[in-house]
Amino acid sequence: MLTLLRDLRKLRRTIGLPAPERSGSLAVRHVDCGSCNGCEHELILVSGPTVDLARYGLGIVASPRHADVLLVTGPVTTRMQTALLTAYEAMPEPRRVAALGDCALGRGLLGSSTEVVGRVEDVLPVDLRIPGCPPTPEEIAAALIGLIDRADRGRLS
Amino acid sequence: VTTERTHAGTGYRSAVTEALADGWRFAGLHASTVGDRRLVRALLSDASGAMRLESAEVEDGTVPTIVDRTPAAGWDEREAHDLYGVVFDGHEPLRPLVNHDVPLDHFTTPVRGADPYQVAVGPIHAGVIESGHFRFHVVGDRILHVDARLFHKHRGIERACEGLPLEYGVSTVARSCAACWVTNAVAYAHACEELLGQKPTPEVARARTILLELERVWNTLNDIGAICAGVGLAAGNNRFLALTDLARGLNARLTGHRFLFGSVAVGGSDLGLDTHATADARKTLTRIRRDSSRAWREILFNGSFMDRMPDIGVVDAKAALSLGVVGPAARAAGVPEDVRAVSPRLAYEGFEAAALRRQAGDVQARLEQRALELLPCLDILDRLLTGPVRPAATEAAGPESPIGVGLVESPRGATTCVVERDGDRIGRLRLRTGSYANWPAVAHAAATNLLPDFPLINKSFELCYACVDR
Repeated sequence: MLTLLRDLRKLRRTIGLPAPERSGSLAVRHVDCGSCNGCEHELILVSGPTVDLARYGLGIVASPRHADVLLVTGPVTTRMQTALLTAYEAMPEPRRVAALGDCALGRGLLGSSTEVVGRVEDVLPVDLRIPGCPPTPEEIAAALIGLIDRADRGRLS
Repeated sequence: VTTERTHAGTGYRSAVTEALADGWRFAGLHASTVGDRRLVRALLSDASGAMRLESAEVEDGTVPTIVDRTPAAGWDEREAHDLYGVVFDGHEPLRPLVNHDVPLDHFTTPVRGADPYQVAVGPIHAGVIESGHFRFHVVGDRILHVDARLFHKHRGIERACEGLPLEYGVSTVARSCAACWVTNAVAYAHACEELLGQKPTPEVARARTILLELERVWNTLNDIGAICAGVGLAAGNNRFLALTDLARGLNARLTGHRFLFGSVAVGGSDLGLDTHATADARKTLTRIRRDSSRAWREILFNGSFMDRMPDIGVVDAKAALSLGVVGPAARAAGVPEDVRAVSPRLAYEGFEAAALRRQAGDVQARLEQRALELLPCLDILDRLLTGPVRPAATEAAGPESPIGVGLVESPRGATTCVVERDGDRIGRLRLRTGSYANWPAVAHAAATNLLPDFPLINKSFELCYACVDR
């Protein structure tokens, strides 16, 4: 185990992630509304050692009741629409919605019209758009850090 | 070449029963329409990789069930009922699977006894996980039964494919799932090439095999990390997350996409790798081999971690065969089947399925099986990346056919893709992935275990929801 921890420390030194210059935090609740799992796989790496967004006070929280941002992936399927709305209803104000990935943004929707409602924007007001198929962990991180900065400047309150 | 026979009445049921007795295995079932005839087709495969279809005429909306002959057909029959309205005579109760517009008690299994209660989880989970609903029937902490209600992510991808030109279908079909993109794309390409009377040349086979194994490398690293996450071993999870990132970065440098999207086409391969690219790949893969072995040793000798593994979530060989379990989960239970050993359309010469000494079919065996399989996977890449890879086309191999089948080993097991043509377009398509085959086994593995162990059991299969729901 010590070797593993030493390796991770060495890895961190090699990657050389800069110390954050900003304060603030963001609690994110992810909701998969029909993605291909690509956005999820990249989002997991955002909290991994190579990006480590926790440095900026960003965390994935277990409940929408603890969340500042609802991070939604996928073209919204008819079967996930109610769950998505329920999660949004459970969030405290001020609350924001981020659409993650091209499907969520309605670029090149997959599936048939009877099973898919459409873009996240067709169901909820969207504040942040993160394009890409899927966006890389770095792109997701940059977009979410931008949201912390906007919150810092009071534009989200 | 796939053989196909159509039966009326009970001929279908007896044909499938005979085939199963002769050692053929169930590999998928779907409902289809040819002209004004409605059919149900059962796909069977044998140990040599041969495929055959036994089809039944749907009479009065009904065909005889085969679920009592092969329980592996359970989900397929339920799906065909929900989406195509076919009734399977003898499949009782024929519970809904894809259809969510039914009361919960139609879907769940009745559980009776002293003090059982239900724990509902999902469709939205606490971490970054795909959406799906689990209903645990428990007494105290002990799981009696789990009903998995998936298909929250059902996007109607198969329907959306109908009418697409054969060569355009690949991007839609494959994108059912990012984790299995290459597998799905190659299975679809193989099916289409059978339709078109084509077969891959050795150069096409080599390119596709490289892509399949690159996909297996990052998936295997990810899956080992996921099991660490299932226990809460952050150091192990983080180490393997970093390796997963490294592998995906290599994918991007080689093909322009971290998940290899767009790297497979019907009728040939566009993949071009010069000697710089192959040298970069070999160097990165050597680093992955070294760093993953080192991390694996650390995990293996971590007592508090490994003590969580044995005898949890057991699927033994008998259950694996009956439920139709495939891939690392089946091999960890002592069912030594790997489609790569019988894939003449790919470059797996001399491949033999990796076998553990301890084939207990529990979480530990599934974890160890993955670690064991990473090494031959890296060996295959090492062998195939010795020289530049050039774009190439498939070659004519025989007559065209109305129906084609692809069978490819995904990181989660055998994936089949059946394509029925309508001229030069897709008439009907069915994608049945390794995850689809294995989901019933997750429920089987969870029974009698403790509820807090379910995340670990689930992670030890690490199945996709996206390509199951489609």
